[in-house]
Amino acid sequence: MRPILAVQNLTKTYGHRPTEFTALNNLNLEIYPGESVAIVGKSGSGKSTLMHILALLDRPTSGTVELDGTPTSTLSARRLNHLRSQRFGFVFQQFFMNPQDTILENVILPLRIAKVRRRDRRPRAEQALRTVGLADHLNFKANDLSGGQKQRVCIARAIINHPEIIFADEPTGNLDSVTGAKIIDLLFKLNRQGVTLIIVTHDEDLAALCDRQIRLQDGKIINASPRPRRTSKTSKTSKNSKTAKTQETK
Amino acid sequence: MLDLLRATHHNLLRNKLRTFLTILAIFIGSFTIILNVAINTGVDSFITDQIESLGGEDFILIASEDTLDSLSSTLTSSSEPVPYNPDQTLSALTDDQLAELKSIDGLIADSFTVTRSLSVEYISRPDDEQKYLITAQALPAGDFHISLSAGRLPDQSTDAYEITLQSGYPEALGFTSDEAALDQTVTLAVKDPVTDQITNFKATVVGVQAPGVIAVNGAAVSPALADAIYAENTKYYPPAQADAAYLIQARFDTSRFTEAEIKQALEDHGYTGLTVSDIMGMVRSFFDVIMVVFSIFGGIALLAAAIGIVNTLYMSVEERTREIGLDKALGMSSGRVFAEFALEAVLLGFWGSVAGVLISMLIGHAANLAVHAEGGFLEVFPTFNLFEFTPAGILPIILLIMFISLIAGTAPALKAAHKDPIEALRYE
Ligand SMILES: Nc1ncnc2c1ncn2[C@@H]1O[C@H](COP(=O)(O)OP(=O)(O)OP(=O)(O)O)[C@@H](O)[C@H]1O
Ligand SMILES: [Mg+2]
Repeated sequence: MRPILAVQNLTKTYGHRPTEFTALNNLNLEIYPGESVAIVGKSGSGKSTLMHILALLDRPTSGTVELDGTPTSTLSARRLNHLRSQRFGFVFQQFFMNPQDTILENVILPLRIAKVRRRDRRPRAEQALRTVGLADHLNFKANDLSGGQKQRVCIARAIINHPEIIFADEPTGNLDSVTGAKIIDLLFKLNRQGVTLIIVTHDEDLAALCDRQIRLQDGKIINASPRPRRTSKTSKTSKNSKTAKTQETK
Repeated sequence: MLDLLRATHHNLLRNKLRTFLTILAIFIGSFTIILNVAINTGVDSFITDQIESLGGEDFILIASEDTLDSLSSTLTSSSEPVPYNPDQTLSALTDDQLAELKSIDGLIADSFTVTRSLSVEYISRPDDEQKYLITAQALPAGDFHISLSAGRLPDQSTDAYEITLQSGYPEALGFTSDEAALDQTVTLAVKDPVTDQITNFKATVVGVQAPGVIAVNGAAVSPALADAIYAENTKYYPPAQADAAYLIQARFDTSRFTEAEIKQALEDHGYTGLTVSDIMGMVRSFFDVIMVVFSIFGGIALLAAAIGIVNTLYMSVEERTREIGLDKALGMSSGRVFAEFALEAVLLGFWGSVAGVLISMLIGHAANLAVHAEGGFLEVFPTFNLFEFTPAGILPIILLIMFISLIAGTAPALKAAHKDPIEALRYE
């Protein structure tokens, strides 16, 4: 199977010569469709930086990032925007919602960005919110929700475009353990449905639930646990080829 | 696009107070400028109207210099008839002088309207001591547009002595209104040129002219009355002298000569020419001063408003840093982020100027009513709308203000568009 994301000799430095800081140092890794991968490490070890680069939000200082075998450095900004809006979903530690807007408005943001027709938006938002168990909170102001509810809205927002990969940066970082567990449940349910999961976390228990852990220390991978063989997840290839096709027609 | 518009409106409504204050600033600027343009339009259309009623831009009034001097009081009188003064003289132009005038290059000889100027000493009411100087003449043939405030023009084919007075006369003569003067009898006094004896001609008032800036034609009388007065004026004249004239109405060739050139030519021959724009120039210059003041004020207000837009949008960009970061992380293009903020600026400009249009129309119409009301300073010019609002005047201003807003919004919008999503997501 071909990796969906592959990174070779990835280095990311901040600043210039005298005060240069190497956040990521010569990383190599591959992520396969349908995997769940945890990126773990101490604060400042470069987890978020790596995730941003994998999510094509940031460019490496050197090295290559390939998506479906294509080097992303060759893609235009427009193409990258399009890729992110079509194939990626994002969940952040601080939620990042527009607090004055309703839940509905927050959830359909990716559809607006992807220029989905207006009348298709609401049904899809309802469906996504149903998945996270908030279907009857459509017109609540985002501000009025609890932290766990907010994160569920963010998950609904992340899945509304039917992404192939969900990037989650500390998705449970702001939640108590019970609510955190619910969010984790949701994420792994999506993973079982075929979504590739890349989770940045401090939480060893959460990391242990993932197929694979990438351990960072001072910008280097300190364990390269082999990709486990898993036979239960073969059904997802059909979904991936479907989205791949919509990519081509664009 | 519609989606973008909705999103932008939505964003504007987030901070209602700030949006309102920005729009208010734009409103003040646009309000001032629109009122200014409205006055300009009003004055222009009034002047155009007046020029038409005076015969057009190529129209010139010719007289010997002393005649024009003594006439100038009546010429510029807009409301008050001038009391009769026995010492004022009008010198008639002779046939030789007429021939000389016709030979001046640029004046169109065929166009000379040598209306038989009637020499009337004064007008009064029977049994009344109050006398007023008046010029009277039969209406020249042709298309003179004269607006009336009451009644009608004299019948061109009647044997009756009819007169259509100039504005102001009915009141001076003691009638309570223009309508009250209708069908009343007035007396035109004509002096015997030799014996100085006064002959009174009784005429029926059939109409009153609407006020204008000047009244060149004087009172209009029916041909029968004109003939009678003229016969009295010229009863000692040899027939050849009968076509005396004080004022010549003529047209000049605008394609070959400017007004100034024609007037210079007349002056060289010892005459004075008065064009319609001379007369209108006096009116214009008064309003020009007002408009310059208005324009400066409006311009400053708009400048302040533009700075307000820049400020508002910068604040908005700062406030929405995380939101912009999220949008961009989720794949929104920089172009669209720019468009959202630029459109926000344009919408601020749009609503500000629309508010300016609506309020200034409201105030403008109220002002029009006020200045024409009794005691208002334009009471005597009912056809003069001080403020006139036309799409041709208003639309360019709305567009201009939207354009200025767009310019003002460019820097903040660029700042938003250039935000790095990662930086923005880290922003607290
Ligand atoms: N824009 C930047 N300029 C300079 N240094 C940066 C920048 N962004 C990140 N860094 C540095 O890179 C290193 C890695 O940062 P990163 O955010 O990836 O850490 P992290 O592992 O996600 O930490 P945490 O668990 O606290 O979120 C840190 O030392 C950080 O200070
Ligand atoms: Mg981090």
